Parts: sequence; structure tokens; C-alpha cells
Amino acid sequence: MVDAETLSILKTRLSDVVGEANVSTSVSDMILNAHDAWPLSEARIRAGELLPTADMIVFPATTEEVAEVLKIANETSVPVTPIGGGAGTCGGTLPIYGGIQLDIKRMDRVLHIDHESLTVTAEGGIVGIELEEAVNRNGYTTGHTPTSLRASNLGGFIATRSGGSMSSLYGKIEDLTLGLEVVLPDGRVIECKALPRHSVGPDLKNLFIGSEGTLGVITRATMKLFPIPEKRSFRSMCFPDVHSGLGAIKEILQSGIFPSVVRLYDANDTAMSVSVHFDVEEGDCMLMLAFDGLPEKVDLEEQLSAEICLKHGAKDYNEGPSKRWWEHRYDMYYPTKFTTAGYSIGDTIDIVATYDKLEDVYHSMKAAMEAHDAVVMSHFSHMYPNGGSIYMIFFTSQPTAEEAWATYKRIWDDGIEACLKAGGAMSHQHGVGLSRSTYMEGEWGAAFSVIRQIKEVLDPNGIMNPGKVGLGVRE
Amino acid sequence: MIDNDEIAGQVRMCAACPKMCRHVCPTFFAWRSDSPTPHGRALIIHYNNTGTQRLDSRGIEVLYQCLECSHCLTWCLPEIDIASIVEATRRQIVDAGSQPEGLIEMARSIETHHNPFEEAHSERTSWVKEKGSGAKSVIYFAGCTASYREQSIAESTASILSETLGYDVIVSDEEWCCGSPLLRTGHYELALETARHNVDLLNSVDAESIIVSCPGCLRVLTQDYPEHGLKLNKPVFHISQVLQERIETLPSGAVDGTATYHDPCHLGRHCGIYDPPRDVVERLMGGGLVEMEHNRDDAMCCGNGAGLRTLFPDKAREIGTERVEQAIRTDADFLITACPFCKNLLDAQSLERIEVIDLPELVKRAGQQEGQE
Ligand SMILES: Cc1cc2nc3c(=O)[nH]c(=O)nc-3n(C[C@H](O)[C@H](O)[C@H](O)COP(=O)(O)OP(=O)(O)OC[C@H]3O[C@@H](n4cnc5c(N)ncnc54)[C@H](O)[C@@H]3O)c2cc1C
Ligand code: SF4
Ligand code: SF4
Repeated sequence: MVDAETLSILKTRLSDVVGEANVSTSVSDMILNAHDAWPLSEARIRAGELLPTADMIVFPATTEEVAEVLKIANETSVPVTPIGGGAGTCGGTLPIYGGIQLDIKRMDRVLHIDHESLTVTAEGGIVGIELEEAVNRNGYTTGHTPTSLRASNLGGFIATRSGGSMSSLYGKIEDLTLGLEVVLPDGRVIECKALPRHSVGPDLKNLFIGSEGTLGVITRATMKLFPIPEKRSFRSMCFPDVHSGLGAIKEILQSGIFPSVVRLYDANDTAMSVSVHFDVEEGDCMLMLAFDGLPEKVDLEEQLSAEICLKHGAKDYNEGPSKRWWEHRYDMYYPTKFTTAGYSIGDTIDIVATYDKLEDVYHSMKAAMEAHDAVVMSHFSHMYPNGGSIYMIFFTSQPTAEEAWATYKRIWDDGIEACLKAGGAMSHQHGVGLSRSTYMEGEWGAAFSVIRQIKEVLDPNGIMNPGKVGLGVRE
Repeated sequence: MIDNDEIAGQVRMCAACPKMCRHVCPTFFAWRSDSPTPHGRALIIHYNNTGTQRLDSRGIEVLYQCLECSHCLTWCLPEIDIASIVEATRRQIVDAGSQPEGLIEMARSIETHHNPFEEAHSERTSWVKEKGSGAKSVIYFAGCTASYREQSIAESTASILSETLGYDVIVSDEEWCCGSPLLRTGHYELALETARHNVDLLNSVDAESIIVSCPGCLRVLTQDYPEHGLKLNKPVFHISQVLQERIETLPSGAVDGTATYHDPCHLGRHCGIYDPPRDVVERLMGGGLVEMEHNRDDAMCCGNGAGLRTLFPDKAREIGTERVEQAIRTDADFLITACPFCKNLLDAQSLERIEVIDLPELVKRAGQQEGQE
């Protein structure tokens, strides 16, 4: 927490930079802007608990303003927590050491569409859906389709190394980002030029992609564009088990076919998400596929993929379940009476591994998590030729808040331990934030010291989002 | 009215929603902060309920920044009606005397002058030129905005009713504000007083129906009055419904060019009237109707609702400007709406880049153009 005198001086100085109307120290504003969509924060809010709040919130409108704010914070060693859309799932925006919350939502302009190179340059605060609608009007898509598209913003997507549900075809945000503008903790503004590829030293932009506000503020980015696909088709295939489904997925992707959607639901998830709408045999696992592009290509890819699935023992459900999922893909994120009752809490551990370890990771995590009075269901999505991600979704409900939060932590601890032991990595796209912060040493091993050293050099006063991603943790 | 327990359950759920509808909230658009948002408003009320953080002056402001447009409801799967929850909470705020200063003046004006604009009541019907002489009588309840600020809508409506549709149009000097600005901002007691006056007046007139050109009046007369046990003894229609019913009397394709249509929140989302105005526009426009990207129950609010323009005029204008931009993107020649409130703000923000007219004005213009041919 910042003392009253420093706070008052800071407020005056920051108001001079961004205008008085764009600085708030009101308690209500601090509360309303603190949290992201971390399920633990959500459950604690429902329980009436107060979450950590900042001392002030600042809304800059330009890169220059961001730079000035960071200079002042750096000079006074006041923590700065950047806020993107505020829909991250790891507690990344919680200002656990107080200080300034830097919300860049006013930086929401599309700056340039390059029709020749198929790129778009926009400010970091633009909400995903606003950017997508703007490029759609020109006949393009960004190809980035996370289910937080309506809430998260471009800066947040990049800061968390996020992935859309069509990443098998279009790629994750790190594949889609061609150039970046970043404000460093001391207020310097750097640009990583938009390029299709390069060989001029290490790729600096990748240091910031996934840095979750710990190394600087992403103020602008140049992203790839794709023509809106002429055709999108859906196909669903039901397998007797996860193993045969994964076998088919591997063969499809390794034969050079890249469906836009590849989602294999395990038996529990199929029962929860699919059997309510379609007649599925108990224990079966549904694979949902989609194909994007020119009609001839789509037809051929669909036909070849279907043949591979049938060869692996699948039953053909045609477009039904897959199309329904696409049309209702946002539904599962809304609160319901059931998921919010009492001290209920759920979360998703979105691990990633190569194929040689993937099934092992799945089985050991499932066993470890189920040991704690939790319902666990999973789907394999964001699949690539060499491996993919699993959404390990769990849900538990306990009689008291203390028991619920403690059970939640045990599920996480044991789930992550099992994941790392089996050779997986603890996140494919959600990031680290606060929820995975304590596991960073275990995940990275000795290599984490390199990240620490980079942090110390770029942010010697430790002002940028301290306590997140395992960096800048204070006593 | 939803009761307190129901509200408590709903705000508890919504307070921690991962912001699933925020992208359509016009006040999120205007402020770009998580405070004036659907889940922000729910969180403020939830924490007040749990005693975690009592409603402070900023909390009250956040609640008064809501347009009560219900756009969030369109996108809410569990159907949490933030507009109604905000309105119910505003009622408690007013009862405690903690409402914003700007609204106290508005309420006083309605109490004294029976309109929110501090205009003399004697001027209310100054726009009336002549009384109709048709066979069947209808009451035209003009409402405050058309009576004082958008008189061409009032004139057009009255003349369509009498000249085009052949009614004997009754406009009463004793019409008072319907109470919408009071109800939407939490001033229930005063609203009911003006409501009772209007109900007595409207029930005492011998006419077959009541016609309104203001969707705010329509909602209040058809939903709020009955909800408070105040019964009108004749049906109430919006002018768009009357025109749709008699569509064959309107000149087909009489106005050159294309039009886009802005759904007023009170007409569309609150009263479910989407097709009647569209049918009328389609009938009159030579080039037909082109929809905006966000239309019908997904239409963006114009920014002129529930006290926002009184309290935060710059933000109301910002929202209005965005809606005008959306209309301009359709390349239509006209932006048509069917609400004096919406027309007033959209017209002011159009800066003559697109012609903004209200539905009765369009009908009148069609009649004149047909007459010229
Ligand atoms: C309903 C729902 C569905 C989701 N679906 C997906 C999905 O399909 N795929 C996926 O990958 N994720 C998903 N997520 C997780 C989340 O939305 C993403 O991780 C997203 O990228 C976070 O972006 P945000 O703008 O909301 O970031 P925030 O929550 O605002 O911030 C996340 C972190 O990044 C930092 N940060 C934000 N902006 C900047 C910036 N400009 N510069 C520097 N640091 C910054 C913050 O300090 C914080 O640490 C989902 C979340 C929800 C609630
Ligand atoms: S109104 Fe519904 S969709 Fe919007 S934040 Fe609340 S619960 Fe979520
Ligand atoms: S009613 Fe309108 S202004 Fe109010 S919270 Fe919902 S969308 Fe926002």
C-alpha cells in the first residue's frame, strides 16, 4: 500500500499526464476494477470477500501517456498492474501489493489495415470482438477465436500467450503477432518491427508475448489477417475411448490436414456436454472437427479426416455435435444456479504436452485431481502435429468457504505435480498469473533463473505486476 | 417488480460473471472502465447486500450511469435483468434522499410543470393546429419530448391520425408527463401521483384508444401503470402499430433512397415491437430498408435514457455518435427511428452526415412527396 502523502502527490502528477477524469482513487472503482475472471476470485466475490485492491486506477489514452505513467511509477517505486480486458483466468490483474492499476481500455483504435500484406495494426486496449468486427467488415478475420473474445483485449491476448479455439489451423497469438510496441518499466518505448519472419538476432517480441505485464506494457500490435473462409464445415465422430480418438487426431494432423477445430471430449465431458443433446453411448468420447477455407479444400479435408476416424473405430455423427458446440461455445461460461450455489468452485488446468506424454499426463492428472472430492472432465483441444492441450476441468462444492478454497488449492497442487511429473507443461494458453505463480520453479527448473535475470535488468525496481508469473514476489 | 431476495440471488451470480455481456453495454463503451458495466453494477449491489462495502457516492454514481437499456439482458443466458435491478435500487436511493442533484431538479420540474424541461404547462399543446373531425375518436398522448422539443413529431403524428387515417384526434391540455423519467430514476411516489392524474384523465375521455408516439410513454402506460394497479379503460398503441395496421393507406415507395432503422430500447427490447416500424419504413422508402450490424434486440441504445443525458451529457453524446456511425456504415440516406428521445439525440449527433427523422415525420414527408408527383 502507498502512504497517503505519496498517494496524493502521485495523483496530482498522474492527473497531469492523463487528465483528472482518468485517474480514480475511489474505493468503489478500486473494487470494481480489481479482479479478472479467476474462478477463485469469482467464488470469493460471491462469498462476499473483499479482494486486494489498488491505491489508484489510471486510464491512459496514448503510448506517450503510458510511458509517462511508468516513468513516474518507476521513480517512486510504486507497483503497476496492467489491466487488459480483465477476463484472464489466473488472477493476473489483482493488485496484490496495491499501487497503480494501469487500464488501457481507452486505447481502442484500429490504426491500419494493410490489404496487401494482410495485416492489421491496432492499439492494445481494443476488445477482441471490436477488432474482429472491424476486420470482418473488410472481409477478413484475425483467426483468433478464444471464448473470451467479447471480454479480453488485444494487449491481454498477447500478454497471456492466449490461444483461440481454432489454433490448430490459424495458430496461437504468438503465431499471429507480427509486430509489437512495448513500453518498458522505465518508460522507454520500443518497437519490434512487423515482419513475416526474420534472422536479426533473437526474436525480442517473444519475450513480451506471455510476459503478463511483468516486463512492460503492450500498447500496440500488428497482427496477421486471413480472408474470411469461403466455407466452414463441421463433422463429429464418436470413439470408444480417448486412446482411439487421439490416434485419429494424430494421423489427421500428421498427414498434413489442419482442421480449424479439433476437440476430443473424454467420457465424462461427453456425458456432460454432448449426451444432453445427442444420443451417445455411455463411455464414448466425441471428437468435434471443423474445416475452413476454399470449398474444394474443405470437402477433401473433411472426407480424408472422416476416413481416418472411421479407420480408428469411430461412429459418424455428421455435423450435429460439432456445429452445436460452435453455435453455443460461449454458453458454458455464464454463471448458473448450479455452478454458483453455496461454496462451489471449478477451474480449468489447460496443460500441454507432446503426444508421447499426453495420455499419461491425462490419466495421472485425472487420478490426482479426483482424489480430492472433485468432478473432473476433460477435452483435448488445440491439437497440433506434435502434441496438444488438455482442458482438465474440475468442480467441487464444499460446506464452508475455508474448505472450498483449501480443496481448490489441493486439487491444483496435486494436479500440477502430476502434470509436471508426467512431462507436461502447466498451461497452453491461460498463462500463469497468480494461480500458477508458485509452480514456476517446478515448471522451468534451472531455466527460470534466466527469466529472473531478465526481469531484474528490465525492471530493477520491481514495479511491473509484482507477484505474478513467479516474479517480484515480496515477503 | 422483482423482490429483494430475488435481486440478491441475481446480483450474487452476476457480480462474478466473467463479463459475458459487457461488450454491448453502451456505458462500458463510453467510459471504458469496469465500473459502469452490468457486472460492475451487480457487484456494487452484492457487496452492499453482504455488508462488504456499503454503497458510497461513487457506487450510487455507477448505478446512475446505467441507461437501463437492457441490451445486457439480450446477451445474458441466465436472464439477469440489470436494468430492473438498477431501477429497484435507485428507488431505495431516492427514498434515502441520496440521488444525484441533477435529478432532483428534473423531478421538481415534473412536480411543478408536469414536464421534465421546466417549460410552462400552458405551452404543452402549443403545437396543436387543428382538431380532427373523423368519425372515430382517439386520444393522442403526445408526451413531453414531442410536446416541447420535437414538435414536428407531435404535429406529424396528429396530422397522420386525422388526415391520413381519418380519426377525430383528441389532445388534452391536461396531459401530464407519463412519469417515465421519474420511474426510471427511482422517484416512485411522484411518478405514481402523475400516473394517477393521467389515468383519471385518459379514462374520462370518450375515445376508442390511446395512441402514443413515444415508446417511453408506451412502456409506462402499458406496463408500469398496470403493475401499480392503475388500469386504463382503453387500449394503448404506438403509432407504428397503428400505421402497420393501415399500411395500405401509405404511399408505396414515395420517398427516394434507402433508410436504416434504429430500434428504440423502450419500443424494441421493452415492448417487443420490432416489425411494425420496419414494415412502415419498407413501404415508404423507394430503396427499401438496410439493417445496421446491431439491430432489433441487439440494437445499441442511443444514449438518451434513464437520466444519463441529464447527468452525463458528454457520455450520452458519445454513445449517440457511435450509433450514428453505425447507421452511416450502412450507406443509407436516412436514419429512421420511432422515438422522440432517440431522434433528438441522434439528430444532434448526426452533424448532417445522415438525415435523422422520426417515423411519423417520414410518413408525413411521404405524403407530401406523393402529393407533389
Ligand atoms: C469466458 C472466458 C473464456 C476464455 N477462453 C479462453 C480461450 O478460449 N483461450 C484463451 O487463451 N484464454 C481464454 N480465456 C482466458 C483469458 O481471457 C485470456 O487469457 C486472455 O488472453 C486474457 O486477456 P485480458 O485482456 O482479459 O487480460 P487481463 O485479464 O486484463 O490481463 C491478463 C494479464 O496480462 C496483463 N496484461 C493485460 N494487458 C496487458 C498489456 N497491454 N500489456 C502488458 N500486460 C498486460 C495483466 O496484467 C494480467 O497479468 C478465457 C477467459 C474467460 C473469462
Ligand atoms: S447480466 Fe448476465 S451476462 Fe451480463 S454480466 Fe451479469 S450474469 Fe453476466
Ligand atoms: S441496462 Fe444498458 S447501460 Fe445498463 S448495464 Fe445493461 S447494457 Fe449497460
